[in-house]
Amino acid sequence: MAKKLMKGNEALGEAAIAAGALNYFAYPITPQSEVAEYLCWRLPQVGGNFVQAESEVAVGNMLFGAAATGKRVFTTSSSPGISLMQEAISYMAGAHLPVVLINIMRGGPGLGGILPAQSDYFQAVKGGGHGDYRLVVLAPASVQEAVDLMIEAFDIAERYLTPVMIIGDGMIGQMMESVEFPKKYRQQNDPSKSDWALTGADGRSARITKSLFLDGKKLEDNCLKLEAKYVEIRKNEVKYELYKVSNKNKVLITAYGTMARICQTAIDELEEEKISVGLMRPISLYPFPEKEMFKEANKPNILAILDIEMSTGQMVEDVERVTKSIKPIEFFGHTGGIVPTPEEVKDKVYEILKKFKKDKKKS
Amino acid sequence: MRQDAMLKATAIKENGYMSGSYKSTYPSFPRQIIIIVGGFGSGKTEVSVNLAKFLAVSQKMPVTIVDLDLVNPYFRSREAVDELEKLGVRAIAPRGEQFHADLPILLPEVKGAIENINGYLILDVGGDSQGSKALGSLTVADKTNDFDMLLVVNSRRPATENVETAIATMKRIEYTAGLQFTGLISNSHLIDETDFEIIKEGYDLVKKLSKETDLPIKFISAKENILQNSGINKFKCPILPLTRSMLKPWERGIN
Repeated sequence: MAKKLMKGNEALGEAAIAAGALNYFAYPITPQSEVAEYLCWRLPQVGGNFVQAESEVAVGNMLFGAAATGKRVFTTSSSPGISLMQEAISYMAGAHLPVVLINIMRGGPGLGGILPAQSDYFQAVKGGGHGDYRLVVLAPASVQEAVDLMIEAFDIAERYLTPVMIIGDGMIGQMMESVEFPKKYRQQNDPSKSDWALTGADGRSARITKSLFLDGKKLEDNCLKLEAKYVEIRKNEVKYELYKVSNKNKVLITAYGTMARICQTAIDELEEEKISVGLMRPISLYPFPEKEMFKEANKPNILAILDIEMSTGQMVEDVERVTKSIKPIEFFGHTGGIVPTPEEVKDKVYEILKKFKKDKKKS
Repeated sequence: MRQDAMLKATAIKENGYMSGSYKSTYPSFPRQIIIIVGGFGSGKTEVSVNLAKFLAVSQKMPVTIVDLDLVNPYFRSREAVDELEKLGVRAIAPRGEQFHADLPILLPEVKGAIENINGYLILDVGGDSQGSKALGSLTVADKTNDFDMLLVVNSRRPATENVETAIATMKRIEYTAGLQFTGLISNSHLIDETDFEIIKEGYDLVKKLSKETDLPIKFISAKENILQNSGINKFKCPILPLTRSMLKPWERGIN
């Protein structure tokens, strides 16, 4: 298939179709409304369903019901909309339902603004809903990667019977990039052979999909069953990318999503000035690349770690946790839709190097 | 020839483009109102901004550009306002907090600019038939027949990927805008992955579309360096050289 030029939001919609996911429930919100706009004409062409719900609360509940049938279901929204879905997300995690959720993040808190942000890291990774549950959280840095992760997200959701969330800063939804889709699209799945989906109890005993367990022992069993899945997820689903990482690196930058691409521009330009900086970009934010990041941070030449985000510092707490602060950690970020520039990243690197030069002189 | 000389002098200095030795014709605009229409991804904003720059450096008349893109929240001609103002182009776009509003804001100045036309007026109309509703609310046609309405065609976008879809897109826009197209712009691209093949593919599509609709090809717009290194003489229509003004935050301003 020839490369097409697509807006991230359209590409996410098409990727769901490529994954055989034809059941979409959503409510429009900037900066992801184009997903709904695209799918409202595209899904009928392939025999799919799009229900525009009356609110994001309704979307969450529709997802719960539709996911229980075993068919592939998904939604897309942006920060305030995702907040409204938190109750249902917790219920779906508790009921072991596979579902794919997209959050094209805008600036918050509250209604915030419509410009790009990465300030929903805590909500996605640490759990915005209640209870002992986790989401698999994936963060693409390009439109092509968004497409690839979207398709994979449905497989992960089904493999572990769990909700999977893709978080992209507003840029991922709004920017145009060239993109290629798989030659062969997946057929819509057939849940009739599944051992959990609600397909009608004809000829078998009834199944119940629920997250309510009034007996403490039974609830603990459910929590332990969930935790056992998360152990497997932490073992099998870690994804990250290294950029110009070498033993010569003085600084290790950590960043995710499109922020990492800004850092790459800074790293390329620093390289021309003979300043060696590497980048570690977590692609799976949960599970977080824990051992891998510790290993990179522990390299002898690394003086400090520099975490860059479009937030006041959220992922940086995981960076501190997994590197056990073995090296000093510096943070730089912007909020409100202001995107840190390559210049600002470079300035922060200069500042770190200067500080270490001074320290060396002192000692 | 005068156009060429002036454009060369200014543009080489300002943008470093038009330094090639090839001969090409620049588009001419006998009509003062130029309406540029296309869905997102067509490149209509880059075309509008570059056209405004081109007219500003090659013509003696004042140039005004209006951001009528009510649909796209990011990457609109508002982003290029500073650059345009430096060249003396008057840019009408929401300012201040409204700059990034996802609301359909139609500024009162727009109506004024149409009614009291002064020099060239470029209308950058966004987002397909929905965006062109804004155009429908302006009484361009009642005031004057002196306008060009041009469709920006990108063969790599669904709305204009072949003759059939392009005609369907045109009909939808004409219906909502209440205005008829007068010409076509060939602007096929994959942003930074654009090569000569894609430009040629788009030109071939627009040629067919031109035959089918009886509308002239107003110009091809493409990045200068790609045209320089390939068979530019294959195109029998004017060319508007482009420099990208709407960059992603990690991109540097190199052609």
